[in-house]
Amino acid sequence: MKQRDLKGPHGTTNVVEETVRNPNVMPSPYSPTIELVGVSYGYGKDLPVIDDITLSIPQGQWVTLVGANGCGKSTLVKLMNALLPKGEGSIKVKGLELQSDTIGKIRQTIGMVFQNPDNQFIGATVEEDIVFGLEGQCLSIEVMEERVKSYAARLGITDLLYKHPSELSGGQKQRVAIASILSMEPEVVIFDEASSMLDEKTRNELLNILSDMHKSGRYTIISITHDAQEIAASERVLVLHEGKLIADRTPTELFQDEKILEMSHVIAPFAFQLTRELHRYGLDISIPNCEKELMEALWPLHLRK
Amino acid sequence: MAITFEKVNYEYDANSMWSQAALQGVNLHLESGILAGIAGATGSGKSTLLQMFNGILKPTSGTVQVLDITLRGGEKAPKLHQLRKRVGLVFQFPEQQLFEDTVEKDLCFGPINFGCSVDEAKERARKAMEKMGLDESLLSRNPFQLSGGQMRKVAIASVLAMDPEIVVLDEPTATLDPVSRAELIQLLHRLCREEGRTVIIVTHRMDELLPFANQWVILHEGRTVFQGTVKALIEQADQMESYGIVIPQSIRYWRAISEKFGLSGEDPCLSAEAMSKRIAELVSAEDV
Repeated sequence: MKQRDLKGPHGTTNVVEETVRNPNVMPSPYSPTIELVGVSYGYGKDLPVIDDITLSIPQGQWVTLVGANGCGKSTLVKLMNALLPKGEGSIKVKGLELQSDTIGKIRQTIGMVFQNPDNQFIGATVEEDIVFGLEGQCLSIEVMEERVKSYAARLGITDLLYKHPSELSGGQKQRVAIASILSMEPEVVIFDEASSMLDEKTRNELLNILSDMHKSGRYTIISITHDAQEIAASERVLVLHEGKLIADRTPTELFQDEKILEMSHVIAPFAFQLTRELHRYGLDISIPNCEKELMEALWPLHLRK
Repeated sequence: MAITFEKVNYEYDANSMWSQAALQGVNLHLESGILAGIAGATGSGKSTLLQMFNGILKPTSGTVQVLDITLRGGEKAPKLHQLRKRVGLVFQFPEQQLFEDTVEKDLCFGPINFGCSVDEAKERARKAMEKMGLDESLLSRNPFQLSGGQMRKVAIASVLAMDPEIVVLDEPTATLDPVSRAELIQLLHRLCREEGRTVIIVTHRMDELLPFANQWVILHEGRTVFQGTVKALIEQADQMESYGIVIPQSIRYWRAISEKFGLSGEDPCLSAEAMSKRIAELVSAEDV
């Protein structure tokens, strides 16, 4: 694709506005962490992969991005830290406009964890792997040692530091990949289907890590996933369909909207499915959090008969 | 009986200092025409077990009988050509094994290798596509231009083209999106129900297979710690966690319902549709 003009805003209406507020001024503390206005991207005019997306994500929010395979989820997050050349529209990270001279700064703000941790290992040991990113940030040896120590402890991989990545299990590899990213202290962390290769137990582990990160308040989390449990744990769900943003709602709202569920290829958690089916039989109960709650809801109905 | 294991041990690098036991004293009985699920935590021996089903690995000791072919530990194996033909193995991420420049050529590769004529192989390819719910028009396409879910189905079809009596799949739904996952499981279920093939699926998402499987095998540290029906599995669900398996939501809910309403003798309803129907019956039983 022909790389679009990196310097200025696109579309006629923005031109005046943008010249007034220079995108290079210091970011305001009140700017949203991620702000997309009219972002489009594609291979040629007829095939937009991303089609006119406008959204804003405040600091500290945990957002899930869902949609069928090929709807543009990965493309969208890759645009955010310029892993793909810029298309139409404006992308701002902490108020800073993404353009050729701000890419370096923006990439330091955003860390990405991918589906297959094998594809992002570089070092011969876990420690080397973590250090690689830190060296790239030109930190002093003392700071690097401190970071390795503290983030390895935080993710429970201290015992693995001197192992070769091939000696690790899938879940351990994914934790190493996360430690490597977090040690660079990004403010935004993007997980691109990071749980889809993991087994059930390790998936729960990853979910705990995400929850802890969210609770710490330091991170803005964007997670691409199909996993109902992971969606349920997040605060906000963005639904992409054929490159367009078709819904922006809470997980509970999403799980109750059959049409959007179908379009996004998401299957609701069992409790939601069961409640929906029960409604069809005229049993009007609210969505239980666990089997006990379901029984508490059903028992009075049963006794009343 | 499709598959019988008696006291099967398997060690990697047997007879060396580094020998590592992967299966220990495994007994297994799987009948023909069933849909069986095999579950277990990472490293429990699932993949090792799977590779014994068509003689890729031979037992270190014990007896493996698959269809009418017997493999005994310590003995020279019989000719495995027939076994390989009759037991189709689908490995993890089978789409990585696609190699031809058209889907049709890829599907014909197996049958031709096992002695089919070109025309017969093409006919089988067409049938296999139909079984996997794929459009015939894809036959002339390059397999690498298909979507992930389609590639997965083509790869499974390439095993079905060999017309195996037993189909064994190692985590066939991994990394697919939930809708494609449900669709694939339904196709595999149909293969078992409508064509009488024995289908064995290794999975770490028990929930999606629960409404369909009639037999379950649970492995833990190289041993079979459970083998039986879903009903029996539910009765022993409490032990699942000690085997490193998370108890599926549907089992949790069914157990609660079954305890409260005294349904322990009943066949479990594990899909949302079936369970809600049963609940509705229970709640309105004394309605009239």
